[in-house]
Amino acid sequence: MTCSVGPAGEAAMRLVFEADPAPELTRTLLAIQKSAQRHFQGTLTDSVIGYATLTLFFKPLQFQRDRVEAWLLDQVDLTKSDTHCDPPPAIILPVFYHPSVGPDLEWLADDKGLSVDDIIALHSGATYFAYATGFAPGFCYLGTLPSQLMAPRLATPRSKVPPGSVAIADLQTAVYPCESPGGWRLIGQCPQPLFNLRHTPANLLSVGDTVRFEPVSEADFYAMGGAR
Amino acid sequence: MSTLIIGQAGIATSVQDSGRAGTLQLGIPPSGAMDPYALVSGQHQLGHVHDEAALEMAYADLIARSTHDCHIVITGAPVTLAIDDQCLDPRKIHAIKAGQTLSIRATKIGIYSYLHISGGIATEPVFQSRSTSPREVIGGFEGRYLRDGDTLPIGPTHSRPSRDDPLLDLSPSPSTLTLRFVPGFQHDEFSPAAMSALLGTEFSVTPSANRMGVKLSRGGVHSGIESLLSEATCYGAIQIPPDGAPIVLLNDRQTVGGYPKPGAVISSDCARLAQARPGQKVRFVSCSAEEADRIQWLERHFVETRLQ
Repeated sequence: MTCSVGPAGEAAMRLVFEADPAPELTRTLLAIQKSAQRHFQGTLTDSVIGYATLTLFFKPLQFQRDRVEAWLLDQVDLTKSDTHCDPPPAIILPVFYHPSVGPDLEWLADDKGLSVDDIIALHSGATYFAYATGFAPGFCYLGTLPSQLMAPRLATPRSKVPPGSVAIADLQTAVYPCESPGGWRLIGQCPQPLFNLRHTPANLLSVGDTVRFEPVSEADFYAMGGAR
Repeated sequence: MSTLIIGQAGIATSVQDSGRAGTLQLGIPPSGAMDPYALVSGQHQLGHVHDEAALEMAYADLIARSTHDCHIVITGAPVTLAIDDQCLDPRKIHAIKAGQTLSIRATKIGIYSYLHISGGIATEPVFQSRSTSPREVIGGFEGRYLRDGDTLPIGPTHSRPSRDDPLLDLSPSPSTLTLRFVPGFQHDEFSPAAMSALLGTEFSVTPSANRMGVKLSRGGVHSGIESLLSEATCYGAIQIPPDGAPIVLLNDRQTVGGYPKPGAVISSDCARLAQARPGQKVRFVSCSAEEADRIQWLERHFVETRLQ
């Protein structure tokens, strides 16, 4: 895999792979992140995994770019083969798929020439991999969506997406953990909170997790604490 | 406990210290004072050495009353100050008696002013910081901007205000503010036309500016990059959305984003941009990472020598 390292502003270094997102690539990034947290202990403040990137944030003026770059490129060689591990058991997220909480569900069915039930079967039939976290606390980028469901983002994002909304865009899916603006297509709602400051870790989903969605009835949705 | 009672909060007043580290992976931004120089200046004047939190006021329009005797100082964007209707020099440290009412109002320069109170605003830290992240509803006072009637806890005073104004305030913006940036991210994939638009255009600050970032007017920067995999953003990152008008990301930014970025504005210029009012002209100039380090080192040296 070709990769390169460069600055991300004055206080961070970014490792980027010229490769399509894949669980193996993410596991490599996770392994390098773990080594970096040990190797740069005390000066590394944050490290963030993207689909094909790892960005290391340092205390200002307390790192040397050429040394970080050399170290990162070494790690890429060292960690190549060290990516065989059993995936953790899938985290199951309950979803109430319904037009009342998924305003794009019927549009999507029409657009794809499928029934709403087909959409639900496809979305809940796949196993997803957690590629990245961020955007908002608890937000996790999950892939890969079955290609029959691939949908473009809204041209004009909604100014308010309700918390718990289950959404799709391109070949990704996610749950909006809190109310926020958003341009993804909404197909249902998940009653399970994804972020709780009183829990450690605070976020339910982490990079590298596997996730499945399980359809639940309206009654179960409300019984689980779901609310519109 | 000593408290500060907010009679009138103003449009965007929040508790801020220097911000948090280590939470980007969780999707929580660093937050913290938009003008870190003003924060440090006030902390220093009151003898605060534990990153005591202040009230950050955007376009200050605050009325507040302290329930105890304390010292205050105001830093950042210039304001007018009245204590019990008596106008006083807003640049000096003042001793306030319990029950006296402070009125602080913005003038025509800058955006963010900071009210420091001896002992600091003592709300509960979240991830080792009292900074408010309003979008995430984390930190500060109930994770939100203050409202009329809020009552804030004030910490015990361990120090005596002793230092004069160290003059750390950012110099007033010249007619065109230069934003130096370190090239990076998708820089090499930007078309030459897009880069010359970025470097050759005089942009101006739009009213779409807040703690998350500052949107600049005039589009014209069309990156030519079709799609992008989401990745970490950073302080000062220059995002180019499809409309071609740059957004510079600041303290409350999204931690991950999918817009192309040709680089990131250096921290010193980010603070100046944060204080720039709508209409301020800005220009981008590229600078090497080493140059950025040198500027940061010199600024730190400048601050440290002033504080000695």
